[in-house]
Amino acid sequence: MIELIDLSKNYAATQAVKNLNLRVARGEIYGFIGPNGAGKTTTIRMMGGIIEPTSGQILIENMDMRLDPVSAKKIIGFVPDRPFLYDKLTGMEFLKFISDIYCVDPLTFPQKAQGLLEQFELWPWRNEIIAAYSHGMKQRLIIAAALLHDPRVLVIDEPMVGLDPSAVRLVKDILKDLAAKGVTVFVSTHTLSIAQDLCDRIGVIHKGNLLAEGTMPQLNRAAKTGDAGLEDVFLTLVREA
Amino acid sequence: MEQAGWIKLLRPRRHAALNTLTRGSGRSRLSRLFLFGFVGGIFWLGTFAIFFRVLTYFQSVEEFGDILAMRLLSMIVITFFALLIFSSIINSLTHLYLSRDLSLLHALPLSSERIFSARWTGSFLDSSWMVLIFSLPVFASLGMVYQAGLLFYLTAFISILLLCLIAQGISSIVVVLGAVMLPAGKIRTLFVILGVVLAIVLIVALRLIRPEQLVNPEGFASVVVYLNSLQALDTPWLPTTWITDALRYALKLSWLQVLFSLALAASFFLVLMFVNDTLARTFYFRGFSRAQTTPGRLFAPLRLRGYGWESMLSFLARPARALAVKEIRTFFRDSTQWPQLFLIGALIIIYLYNFSVLPLENAPVRAVYLQNVFSFLNVALASFVLSAIAARFVFPAVSFEGEAFWILRASPVSMKTFLWVKFFLYYAPLLILTEALIVVSNTLLSVTPFMMLLSIITVFFLVPAIVALAVGLGAVYPDFTSENPAMAATGFGGLLFMFLCFTLIAMVIMLQAGPVYRIFMADVHGLTISFRLIAWSSISFAAALMLCLIAVFLPMRLAEKKLTRE
Repeated sequence: MIELIDLSKNYAATQAVKNLNLRVARGEIYGFIGPNGAGKTTTIRMMGGIIEPTSGQILIENMDMRLDPVSAKKIIGFVPDRPFLYDKLTGMEFLKFISDIYCVDPLTFPQKAQGLLEQFELWPWRNEIIAAYSHGMKQRLIIAAALLHDPRVLVIDEPMVGLDPSAVRLVKDILKDLAAKGVTVFVSTHTLSIAQDLCDRIGVIHKGNLLAEGTMPQLNRAAKTGDAGLEDVFLTLVREA
Repeated sequence: MEQAGWIKLLRPRRHAALNTLTRGSGRSRLSRLFLFGFVGGIFWLGTFAIFFRVLTYFQSVEEFGDILAMRLLSMIVITFFALLIFSSIINSLTHLYLSRDLSLLHALPLSSERIFSARWTGSFLDSSWMVLIFSLPVFASLGMVYQAGLLFYLTAFISILLLCLIAQGISSIVVVLGAVMLPAGKIRTLFVILGVVLAIVLIVALRLIRPEQLVNPEGFASVVVYLNSLQALDTPWLPTTWITDALRYALKLSWLQVLFSLALAASFFLVLMFVNDTLARTFYFRGFSRAQTTPGRLFAPLRLRGYGWESMLSFLARPARALAVKEIRTFFRDSTQWPQLFLIGALIIIYLYNFSVLPLENAPVRAVYLQNVFSFLNVALASFVLSAIAARFVFPAVSFEGEAFWILRASPVSMKTFLWVKFFLYYAPLLILTEALIVVSNTLLSVTPFMMLLSIITVFFLVPAIVALAVGLGAVYPDFTSENPAMAATGFGGLLFMFLCFTLIAMVIMLQAGPVYRIFMADVHGLTISFRLIAWSSISFAAALMLCLIAVFLPMRLAEKKLTRE
């Protein structure tokens, strides 16, 4: 479960996120959409504990990110928008590093790592240094690493960027499967078709404000767009904001 | 098809530099300017004072004075040339083959020769500016001691400029040829090693000239041998000889010979440019394409009977061990670190060699006294060496996380653990290195057991202080987006680090110097050590210890706050 309470973030004179309140239930996939510079990545980075909010609260499974960041981070799987990794480590060394940091059971690690690397089609490249990986391979490795410690909450920024169609399908299936097992998934994306297809509920953020949130019918009602698709809903909400 | 001129390609660089200077709050800009100006000014004035003093002393030596000064000039020019070659090779490699923006540039409608010209100029500026600025006090002191006119300074400026251009011209030829000849994927590693080997050879060659003999002409069998040894390196086909000659003749007002020497250097530079241009047309793009190949590992991982070196860290908690293993792996797999390690090795050898050849037996002061004074200065010198090493390796340690720093921020590891793991990883090898330096150099000096013990203890507390200052300030002033995080040390934070290190070392040494001198003199004169002296010593040593402890914990605390709150 994720809960954001009056969450704000200021960068000098700019208020990137303004008193954001939202709640994502256990086992739910929540899509977070908005134009460029709307505050999506800032929100996600605050949820991942990468930046500190100016004010407000982030609760991850009822753990306060500000008061006990280490415990909160232990149950989060975080995937950033850009796949920056340790270029000098091999794929397998990187997974080992993550498993040690998250204290994954060393007995189950080899089997888990192999399973994930095979699932993401990285097994043949496990002993190559990451510098030699393509953008898509790095993105797949990051997602694999985020799943290594069986997170109870997944926070993902732009999961499909750089992935080929089969990998996009794979990631979508994995996220649905995880949600079915009770994992809370928070996804930010610009690909509206994926958001519509994948998410149980969607939040639209613009200029740091949450304009609307809910299921597709609820969003259509908020935007007064009948039974239009997410693209029309999104454009209407943003235009009228 | 019409193309943009290569000068235009330097615009982003100019704008970036201007933006760095003009953006940010006025107060921080002023404090930066003040610190850069202050430290730069002190260094500049110090260099001037030392050279002025040495050259004035040489002038007082009958008959040999001018020869000694010219010998010194020759050595300075060779040193500058060695530094320039080393710096130009590294810069050419980065500017021509490795910079991130090269992909963008090569996608623009520009010929590769134009890109080459722009990058060549960028590399020249980066590798030369420091030598250009810091050669000024040397030539200014030379001009003032010899009461030279304005033309000498003009000659000096043209000479050093030509030296920089020649070094860049030679380096870029080596780099361009290497990029097409070496195996793709190994270019980065092997090139940097090549640059360092060259630098080490030049430094060792310079050291073997034994400049300390310049002040000891009596040590030579005859005047002829002495004069011969002074002229050993003036080979007529070396660019350094032409530059030295131009300066030498400018002091003697032999302008025709000045022109001849400068013409030699300038024509050689033009030949180099012709070769560069031809190579750029033929090989540059081919080499650039090869450099885009996946970088390969230089060495296979070390494993003994199935156990890796990682098992030696098994005493650490898992997250701390993971951080340590990652740090060590990324450090040693980063090819830019290797040559610096080799260079440090060479410098340490030269450092110790210097102690072994000190002509203490010829000194007019009592040898025992002098040996102990040297031992004391040795602590300061070794600490300065340590500060320089820490500036290069430890200060950028946090910045080396680069844009992958999100991994640690998002992971369940506190910034405190992260910083202290960094601290201990650098503390252990640097403590061993500095203590070894102190023990070996003190042994070479045959100091008293008291001075040996005092030096060992002082360094034992100074090393953690300097390492913590480096880790802490490196985290307070990080640069996670730089292509070359090691450059973080050349910014405001790095300068502040060096300034604080020098202040700390100076304060610790000053706190110890007074009581140690008194104790030493009491021992020499066979007097008993008074209670007052014991009290003074205790307070001084306690204050020095306190300073070191503050230097350990305060920057680490500040760094933790900075990284947690950012």
